[in-house]
Amino acid sequence: MRTARDRLIGDHGRRGAAFGRALAELLDGALTRSLASAAEAVEGRLSLAAIGSYGRAELSPGSDVDVALLHDGHTNVAEVADRLWYPLWDAGFVLGHAINTVKEEVALAERDLHALTAWLDARHVAGDPELFTDCVARIRRLAQRRRARLVDDLRSAAEVRREKFGLVAEMLEPNLKDGSGGLRDAQSLSWAGWTLGEPGGWAALVDQGYLRGGDPSRLAAAIARLLDLRVALHRVTGSRSDVLTLQEQDAVAAETGAEDADTLVRELAGAARVIAWLVTDVFARLEATERGPGGRVSRRDRDLGGGVVVRDELVAFSADASIDATLLLRAAAAAAELGASFDRASLERSKEIDVVEWHAEARDAFVSLLSAGRGAVPVFEALDQAGVLALLLPEWDRIRSLPQRNAYHRFTVDRHLLEAVAECAALLDDDGFDGEVARRARADLLLLAALLHDLGKGMEGDHSVVGAEAAVELARRIGVDERGVATLDWLVRHHLALAETATRRDLSEEATITRFGRLVGTSDRLDLLYALTVGDSRATGPAAWGPTKAALVRELFVKTDSLFELGVVGPGLDAHRRETLERHRTLLARRELAIDWTDRADGLLECAVAAPDRTGLLARVAGVLALFGFDIRDAAGYIADGMALEVFDGADRFGRLSDQEGRDAVVIALRSALTGELPLHEQLRARIRRYRIPDPGDVSVVVDQDASPSATVVEVHAPDHVGLLAQVASTFADLDVDVRTAKVSTLGERVVDVFYVHDAAGDKITKQLTLDQLKATLLARLTSEYWLPEPT
Amino acid sequence: MKLIVGIIKPFKVDDVKDAVKDLGVQGLTVSDVQGFGRQRGHTEVYRGAEYTIDFVPKVRVEILVDDGDADRVVQKLVETARTGKIGDGKVWVVPVENIWRIRTGETGPDAL
Repeated sequence: MRTARDRLIGDHGRRGAAFGRALAELLDGALTRSLASAAEAVEGRLSLAAIGSYGRAELSPGSDVDVALLHDGHTNVAEVADRLWYPLWDAGFVLGHAINTVKEEVALAERDLHALTAWLDARHVAGDPELFTDCVARIRRLAQRRRARLVDDLRSAAEVRREKFGLVAEMLEPNLKDGSGGLRDAQSLSWAGWTLGEPGGWAALVDQGYLRGGDPSRLAAAIARLLDLRVALHRVTGSRSDVLTLQEQDAVAAETGAEDADTLVRELAGAARVIAWLVTDVFARLEATERGPGGRVSRRDRDLGGGVVVRDELVAFSADASIDATLLLRAAAAAAELGASFDRASLERSKEIDVVEWHAEARDAFVSLLSAGRGAVPVFEALDQAGVLALLLPEWDRIRSLPQRNAYHRFTVDRHLLEAVAECAALLDDDGFDGEVARRARADLLLLAALLHDLGKGMEGDHSVVGAEAAVELARRIGVDERGVATLDWLVRHHLALAETATRRDLSEEATITRFGRLVGTSDRLDLLYALTVGDSRATGPAAWGPTKAALVRELFVKTDSLFELGVVGPGLDAHRRETLERHRTLLARRELAIDWTDRADGLLECAVAAPDRTGLLARVAGVLALFGFDIRDAAGYIADGMALEVFDGADRFGRLSDQEGRDAVVIALRSALTGELPLHEQLRARIRRYRIPDPGDVSVVVDQDASPSATVVEVHAPDHVGLLAQVASTFADLDVDVRTAKVSTLGERVVDVFYVHDAAGDKITKQLTLDQLKATLLARLTSEYWLPEPT
Repeated sequence: MKLIVGIIKPFKVDDVKDAVKDLGVQGLTVSDVQGFGRQRGHTEVYRGAEYTIDFVPKVRVEILVDDGDADRVVQKLVETARTGKIGDGKVWVVPVENIWRIRTGETGPDAL
């Protein structure tokens, strides 16, 4: 027996289904002989049945062999059974065996889904034929009687397999038996057919309109392909595993005569897609029938408008709708959003479309389809199976079921792209940091970029570059605006830049951030690239995304974003920011005291002061501005190459700064304040006396050491009053505290000034004594009439 | 035999790999890890909102070597991973009782 089996396995000419039949014949013969000799000793009737894959004669080298010995209850069958099973055990088969009366067997099938379905594939091997026929007939009736439960069980089992093993067509290492679209799925279709009564199996599904006439031959071809691969896989590995691992794919390709591993995998995917799609479609309709009152009699359609209806929980075209791409896409978006299946008849009708016109409405529907996230995955599959996806997106043909051979990816290219879309759509609903960033981006561009980012895979050349070209072509065809097209081009071209820089470059080097910032150019692109990177990485697989990479990517994002905020880089900033930066650069280039005034769109005035850096500069500039009635609302300061740039936004309270004369006066005053000729303190004090001095209870100073990695942050909360910034800044200057950045915000009557400060050496202020002194001095001066020290 | 374990900055991983390969090291294992040393975590301000980073991302490198090679490899690793800035990481060496190569069953230094 063992020798005969080994010879069969060694006979590489017997592939797939032929191997299964040959092995079944071998077993049939052996069991028939054993039963004949053993049964002589027994009274009563015995019948031996092959069930499960042995029943179907679809055995692979590693398959379990399932058999049932039926008896009429009067014989001592255990002895017979021993003589039947032992030769098989000795030959190394893994045997699933049962010894039951017909009644027991039916009771078992009633309780256990597996027992029931195994009998739906049963085949008589030897012994009394009547016992067998009786049992099979009863179990078939049982299947019909328990239709609702059985359909539900089969469908949820298929869903569990999809969750657990993924789709055969889309996994890089698919499970041929248990994956979605695998052998088990194909069998469950046939079992579902038995719930409809005779003739059972696929024939019953065809009879009642659940399958189309051509479907059984497509299914049979798909199963043959899967069996061929499974037999080859078991041969190659010598094991029972049904997972077609990457490392075995070359050998299995050679064994099955496929050109190479990629061809093998794509052919497999084609077969598995047929099965998976029919399983989804048939079970959805069987369930709809179960739920619907009076079987398939449809209840009223729910009208979703524009020719799209929901009928029996399936999304369909209304009878009078004129069929075009817009309708198809709207129905697709509705199906994705509702998580409903697409009515197959409507899908067939959409084959009438021969030209796709991308109106704005079609494009919007396409974007809503994408924004449905994971719900879009089965809809894409349905469109693909109906042959209309290629019409909408001809580019899809090249990447369909395209394997990718690296350690990070889990999915074929097409599914990876849909996963990326789903992950990006999920980000748009995310509560956390990632969601905040994603929602700032243009959602349509984010989703399209996710769908298109790997379009260049499988083409000659760098997939980012050729992919960008393909993406641009597609985006133009569907009518994305030119600005959007340019952004998509850039995003696809650089979709790996953020992740690569974050993981391979030193993020504590300023040059890293600056260089990356120059590449990105605008914060719009940065937001999009960040969201795309997160979505793409999550869609790739667990090896591509973990806390470490997430932290690095986020760090680079935040650092680059602050660079944009500070205006250090940003050739691609919006026109206004760019112009502002240009003015500031010109100002700094003069390398002497210079002031530039600009009227802002919001009615405020911007005052930019460039001056050689020196201690107390901020205090003096703020002081002079206060003297001239310039009410500071916002201030920020930077230092580069020994020159300081202080930028203030504020209101011209007395209208003294609206003409050149007034503005020139400020420069003169500031110049003399810097040389000490102008008694700035005295004049300010005189001015401040006219206003109320704040109560100590109104002022608070908070020191935060954790807010910034490189600076101490001092927050001053106080009622708004004249010269407040000058006051605080001069206190810092007196205590040798260097202000790196100042941020002044006015909230009604109150002001919150935030200062990022360093000690004289340019580090965080760590001495508690200094911090205490700083706080005390600030509080004292802000609440005193004599807050300014005498000039030194 | 020794097991050299290094916790290094993630972007240094390729450099370290190349450097020890040049010394004849046959293989190494890397894993993404997070932790804190004296560098601690920190808080970043992003557009006014704060977020805290409790642990800093690092890469853990593990290399099995023969006794005689340990010092050289460690030295090379330390040299290569150093940037001179805070958070460069740590390297330590632990003795190894035995090693098996699973495929062939070889043991001891032969399995390196």
